[in-house]
Amino acid sequence: MTTTLNEPGTANRTPPVRAPRRARHWGDHLFVVPAVVFVLATVLYPLVFNIDLSFRDVGVGEIVTGGAEWVGWENYADQLGRDEFWHALVISLLYTGLAVAVAFALGMALAVYFNQRFPGRNIMRSLLLLAWILPTVVSANVWRWMLDGSYGLINTLLEAVGLLDGDLFWLARPVPALFAVVFATAWSFTPFIMILLLAGLQGIPDTLYEAAKIDGAGAWRRFTSVTMPLLKPVNLTALLLCFISTFKTFDTVFLMTRGGPGEATMILPIYAYNEAFEFFRFDTGAVATTLMLVVPLGLSVFYFRSLRREEAA
Amino acid sequence: MTTAVRRRRWLMVGGVLITAVYLLPVYWMLATSLKESSDIFSTPPDLFPSPISLTSYTETVVNHAGIGRGLLNSTVIAVGTTVVTLAVAVPAAYALARLRVRFVALLMLLFLVVQMIPAVNLALPMFVIFSRADLVNSYVGLTLANCSLAIPLAITILRPYFLSVPGEVIEAAKIDGCTTWTAFLRVALPVSVPGLITVAVISFLGAWGEFVFGLALASDEAMQPITVVLAGLTNSFGTRWNDLMAVSVVVALPIIVVFVFLQRYIVGGLTAGATKS
Repeated sequence: MTTTLNEPGTANRTPPVRAPRRARHWGDHLFVVPAVVFVLATVLYPLVFNIDLSFRDVGVGEIVTGGAEWVGWENYADQLGRDEFWHALVISLLYTGLAVAVAFALGMALAVYFNQRFPGRNIMRSLLLLAWILPTVVSANVWRWMLDGSYGLINTLLEAVGLLDGDLFWLARPVPALFAVVFATAWSFTPFIMILLLAGLQGIPDTLYEAAKIDGAGAWRRFTSVTMPLLKPVNLTALLLCFISTFKTFDTVFLMTRGGPGEATMILPIYAYNEAFEFFRFDTGAVATTLMLVVPLGLSVFYFRSLRREEAA
Repeated sequence: MTTAVRRRRWLMVGGVLITAVYLLPVYWMLATSLKESSDIFSTPPDLFPSPISLTSYTETVVNHAGIGRGLLNSTVIAVGTTVVTLAVAVPAAYALARLRVRFVALLMLLFLVVQMIPAVNLALPMFVIFSRADLVNSYVGLTLANCSLAIPLAITILRPYFLSVPGEVIEAAKIDGCTTWTAFLRVALPVSVPGLITVAVISFLGAWGEFVFGLALASDEAMQPITVVLAGLTNSFGTRWNDLMAVSVVVALPIIVVFVFLQRYIVGGLTAGATKS
């Protein structure tokens, strides 16, 4: 595990010069200490603190003063017995699954297209990444405007091609709202997937395609029989990374719908945020966030495995 | 003209079309921000703003006190985050790549796992901790919160850069009388400048666009970063889409400028940070 996970790329060619074991320099550790202390203080301590909160009865007063009473599993029983919590989990998984599916399909299509040789492709690839690095506050606002029922550009375009008749207020109706946030999220993530897949595509030797062509394979056949099997490790890594990142997304949905209309787009991060910062229930909010952590951390195990496999391949 | 050349030309045309359609939202933001209030509600919408109007910028953006304040706050927080991240992450990444440090695999795993944690998971306990430490509504608190995710990311991006510095070069510098520290400063850092720029750019952009920490840890309007200010304006501006798009352009502008000039650092860095440990 250690070797494959930690010596990627060029490192394989220039192994670090290691002195005999006895010569470990304790002074060298001073370089790492600040970072480790920082992560312990700003990530691990808050996480542990959060778990502690989830076992206490925290009222508004106790947020500042501390000293909340220990109530054991009571908050967990409360959350797990609430329909809203399960609803938020289902919406989260639905939203994440759909957004990842759309982003992956589009990202794959773009990667295959921009893997072909033609002038200007590098500039175009980079330009597409703009969608990804744009602050989500900005893109969410632009999508709200584009999806406006009466004057939005999306409806105008849909009407022009005959797919829509009359106004559709996307963000005011449950199913269209879910599709809207899925699409806006996928728009941001697609270029990132494209870049990850392009790196994988470039590793496939041209000779394989030449050989397939000689054997009479058409473009689609070459994609399904050469590209997809060889991209499998890269695909898996990209899918897992995208799933984890989308599952923890907060901004896009919060800014477009705040979880509404009703609870139609109430994903877990917004549910947990509301518990704490809208209703000042920091204890049940801590339960929701702690439970929420299971999905990304669980998947990260598979992610690390797929990373290792990709590097070994 | 050979078929190969013709094919490439058509592929290029297709590529331009795909790129244009994909970035339509970015264009629409810019176009709307340059329209007059009366023009944004014309049906069908005008694809090009005519006449081009800068009113949204000269009236709304410039005169709205909250926007200037938000931009200032975001600048302070983003610069602070970048400086602290570089100061903490660069030596750590170097040591994990090139020095005799224990638990390298474990630490790299830690820094990678940390990046999987949703920001809400940290924002909630941080609010309670910061409330007790009087750090809510402060630059220090917001910078610390941003660094919590920026530092692990920076280390994962930087370590491969330092691994590509040949160990022999550093050993040679030591034989010539460098200490570990001066070998790091005078030999390893200068050859890793592209990596340092990448990390600085990504830290800055991340903090500039950050929303959750700003929302949770800055309830005082005077301390809110521009992203939170913009989110607040979406309610108060209602259907003044041209004004809202103008503010959005201003928020996106530093990102776009950095992107145009430094995109090669961003593209390489982001993929390296995401897939390498």
